[in-house]
Amino acid sequence: MVEMVHVSKAYTQSPQALRDITLQVEKGKFVYLVGPSGAGKTTLLKLLYAAERPTEGEIWVNGVEVPRLKPREIPSLRRNLGIVFQDLKLLPRWTVFENVALALEIWGGERKDIIKRAVEAIRLVGLEGKSSSLPSQLSAGELQRVAIARAIVNNPPLVLADEPIGNVGLGAAEEILKLFADINLRGTTLILATQNQNLPALLPKEIIVLENGRLLENSLSRVVKGWP
Amino acid sequence: MGGYFFRQAWQNLKQNIWINAVTLGTIVISFIILGFFLVVFVNADGLLEEWKSRIRVTAYLPNSLTTEQIKQLQDRILSWPEVQGIGFRSKEEALKALEGRLPGRKGLLKGIPRNPLPASLEIQLKPGYRNSIGVEQLVERMRGNPQIEGLQYGAEWVEKFSAFLILVQVLGLGLGGLLFVSTFLVIANTIRLNIFARQEEIEIMRSIGATGFFIRAPFYIAGVFQGILGAGLAVLILFFFFRLFLREVYDPLKPILGDLAINFLSAEQTTAMVLGGLVIGFLGTQVAVGRFLRI
Repeated sequence: MVEMVHVSKAYTQSPQALRDITLQVEKGKFVYLVGPSGAGKTTLLKLLYAAERPTEGEIWVNGVEVPRLKPREIPSLRRNLGIVFQDLKLLPRWTVFENVALALEIWGGERKDIIKRAVEAIRLVGLEGKSSSLPSQLSAGELQRVAIARAIVNNPPLVLADEPIGNVGLGAAEEILKLFADINLRGTTLILATQNQNLPALLPKEIIVLENGRLLENSLSRVVKGWP
Repeated sequence: MGGYFFRQAWQNLKQNIWINAVTLGTIVISFIILGFFLVVFVNADGLLEEWKSRIRVTAYLPNSLTTEQIKQLQDRILSWPEVQGIGFRSKEEALKALEGRLPGRKGLLKGIPRNPLPASLEIQLKPGYRNSIGVEQLVERMRGNPQIEGLQYGAEWVEKFSAFLILVQVLGLGLGGLLFVSTFLVIANTIRLNIFARQEEIEIMRSIGATGFFIRAPFYIAGVFQGILGAGLAVLILFFFFRLFLREVYDPLKPILGDLAINFLSAEQTTAMVLGGLVIGFLGTQVAVGRFLRI
């Protein structure tokens, strides 16, 4: 599903954002990508959805070698992924329904089907009754749910979530994680980036630990100890 | 997806409603001016064609010619390439025509002992020769012919009107070109503002996999819609004023103008105006999207 081989990424202001990352995420897995702020989690996710290009190394997502994609091929890669952005990227003047339906509109299809699937995704994240609300009328947890609904509405095989529980309280975080677990149970592969070291304990899954752009741990179903 | 594009195009128009309204107004005014020139030109051109069709050369015949000689002369003239048709007017017919032109003064002609008017041939030219050169060419053929006593012709005034029409055409094209460019720039600028207003949305759409086509299409629809609506409204307004002109100016002057018919734009010309709106809307969007929408 996802494979990175000796991937490095350097920026002018951060010459070692990622260093020699090699990892593999199999289909159907739920993986936590943990590490402190600046560890390279967001950069790693951006490489997966082609928002950044690696300085070196190979990256494969859904059988596609991402760095070799031409600019016009990138939309197709992203349409086959569900992405929950750190800053959510919700359209502020669009309602919850319109934000979620946008991902389906991009895919194309019958209006009737788009409405049905968007309503279903909104129901799945527990926001029925909020369809007509604008993002400005929602709480932080609800906004996260909208972003998740938009990410899963197309039933993508892989969902990438960047700090989806960073701005919410523990209770809301637990609910969001349970929601991700439900999504994972439906067969969707999940990579969830977080700097909260305690959260994986709520829902033990495979964990990848990043620190200063390096891969520290890549283990199954255990909480990482000794990490500040 | 089509429905989505139209909804987004509508959003684009609504979001900057005043700017879009000004743009629409500019398109309407430009197309009214263009349409006005077109109406003037089309009618003047029709008038010129009508006048040209009336260009004739009259050849006066001596009284000594026999019917047979007149017939032979007619046949010879008809064989010339400039000539479309020929009509014979006898001395009696000429007198009657003169009487017809002098209503109430028939008494003037009663005192004349014999008919002084000559018989004549009315020679009509083929369309390609209905100008001063064609007329001169025909007159040259007839000049010096002993069977022709005199010639009457004149095409200079048609030439002058034709030159005036060319001036109208050049002015119309020049002004039309300027208006086309300025309207195009106004549309391009409005679409640019629409793009800037939606920059954040465009960025988000790109992030979740929207293609360039998906992002651009609503802007094209909005631009083309404005172009078509503006040109269509211009045609309607022009038609309204045309009817007003007919009622207030043309109808009261009809006794003076006679059979002079004034027409509005044909269906083809109206369609061409609306298509012009479509093209200008498309081109304006194309430039704005090409320059400011980096996808």
